[in-house]
Amino acid sequence: MAEIIKTKGLTKDFGQGRGIFDIDLGIQKGEVFGLVGINGSGKSTIMRHLMGFLQPDKGRASIAGKNCWRHAAELKKYVGYIPGEISFPDSRSGLDFLRLQADYMGLHSMAYADELIERLNLDPTAKLKRMSKGMKQKTAIVNAFMFDPDILLLDEATTGLDPLMQKSFTEIVKQEKKKGKTIFMSSHMFDEMEGVCDRVAFLKNGHIVHVVAMQTILGNEKLKEYKIEFNNATDYAAILARPFDFLRRRDELNQVVIRVLDSDINQLFGVLATMDVRFISYKPYTLEACFKETYNNTEVA
Amino acid sequence: MISKTLMKQTIKSNFTLWLILTGLQATMVALVAGSGTNLQQTALAYYNMLPGLISAVYVIVTGNKLLAQQVDKGTLAYVLSTPVKRSKVAATQAIFFLGSLFLMFSISAASHLIAHYISVGSITSTEVGHVLLLNLGLFVLNAALSGICFLASCVFNLSKYVTAVGGGIVGAFIVLNIMAMFGDSFNWMRNLTLVTLFDINSILANDWVFIWKFIVLAVVGAVTYAIGSAAFTKRDLPL
Repeated sequence: MAEIIKTKGLTKDFGQGRGIFDIDLGIQKGEVFGLVGINGSGKSTIMRHLMGFLQPDKGRASIAGKNCWRHAAELKKYVGYIPGEISFPDSRSGLDFLRLQADYMGLHSMAYADELIERLNLDPTAKLKRMSKGMKQKTAIVNAFMFDPDILLLDEATTGLDPLMQKSFTEIVKQEKKKGKTIFMSSHMFDEMEGVCDRVAFLKNGHIVHVVAMQTILGNEKLKEYKIEFNNATDYAAILARPFDFLRRRDELNQVVIRVLDSDINQLFGVLATMDVRFISYKPYTLEACFKETYNNTEVA
Repeated sequence: MISKTLMKQTIKSNFTLWLILTGLQATMVALVAGSGTNLQQTALAYYNMLPGLISAVYVIVTGNKLLAQQVDKGTLAYVLSTPVKRSKVAATQAIFFLGSLFLMFSISAASHLIAHYISVGSITSTEVGHVLLLNLGLFVLNAALSGICFLASCVFNLSKYVTAVGGGIVGAFIVLNIMAMFGDSFNWMRNLTLVTLFDINSILANDWVFIWKFIVLAVVGAVTYAIGSAAFTKRDLPL
């Protein structure tokens, strides 16, 4: 499949170690690609390059083969965007704002906008200035999706949304994905990413430190972790003598965490069959766990 | 060349201030002209002092609002997330700025002519010519001053810098011009301000010296608007 969003050696140095450095990304058509990182790691800077707001110091960013800086205006015909910071023009209602944007886009039908407004439970007649953060965010979401763009750039799109609305948003993203849209989203909500993303890149101090495919996470992983607690110290000592991969042990509880490949699981149960086990629980490998592991173990300049 | 949607939006958000200041200016000139004095005196009393102040307020406030304030607040992200080119945004705002100033002084000129006609009872073609030239001069002067504010608005990300730099320069020009009127010891200040190029005496004396001064002002305007637009098109925007 073709890479529709591409960056090659994308670098923007703001000085004092801030900025983004040598970002190489290739996002396939129809893919939902996530970008996680702590505040200030450079997520919005990457988005702004894709939007043509910033000119790279080095390297390039392109969408559908077109340079994001040089063809910025033209690309907006098929790119929808939710900015990281929401700030609307003054003293209009949500609906006035959406109509204005539709006017810019040359959009004639508000049918899809109305559908989104309903799904997000938004009152579009409220004055933008009086809107809560969540309401503003919903308005921005409707604005980005309503003209049915092929590509969506979502910069922390769910900030300020309550958990129910976050779910509605995830549903909308999934639906767009089904339509074949390419979605590039940044977030620091792991569960939101886990639900929809095909791949997730970790960004640290402006560097991509890891790109993880979601297939290898959340029960799809071949290497699983189990927490096992024993009723007596004898069995606890016996298991420790076995050649398993012990991640953690808590002697006072007779508890271990073991990492086992699916293909070796019967070996583990064979051993456990003769032992006095209090409980065994499976610890799914979450995106958050993966993130913490990679993030802390990677040093970047 | 321009975006109609943006033009509508810009007119909407700047109309109130424009209307108040245009109305204020037209009323003032009507009051001065309506006192029945001859045009020479009106011109010297009114055109020397007041209109520079009123239009300067408009130029400083609006200059900031047209671009920098929208970049500062982040609202421009929504315009630029549509297929409107940055050059189109700059051109639209520039045309609005110049157009609104032209209209402002056209209304002032009309107001002056009508008030003069009513109070004196007649008006000569020379007088009509003088009023039109005086207001054309104010327009060209403001084209230059607004160009400075527009340039600042194109270059800076933060409103406060536009107000400080654009507003500071325009404000200084106006103040220097007024200071220069306080007597001979301050007269040298005339050489430091663009306002001097609006040569009222030359207009009233029909000696055509004012023409080249108008041209200088127009060139300052053209250059500042052109550099501003080009800079806005090429620079990084923190949206």
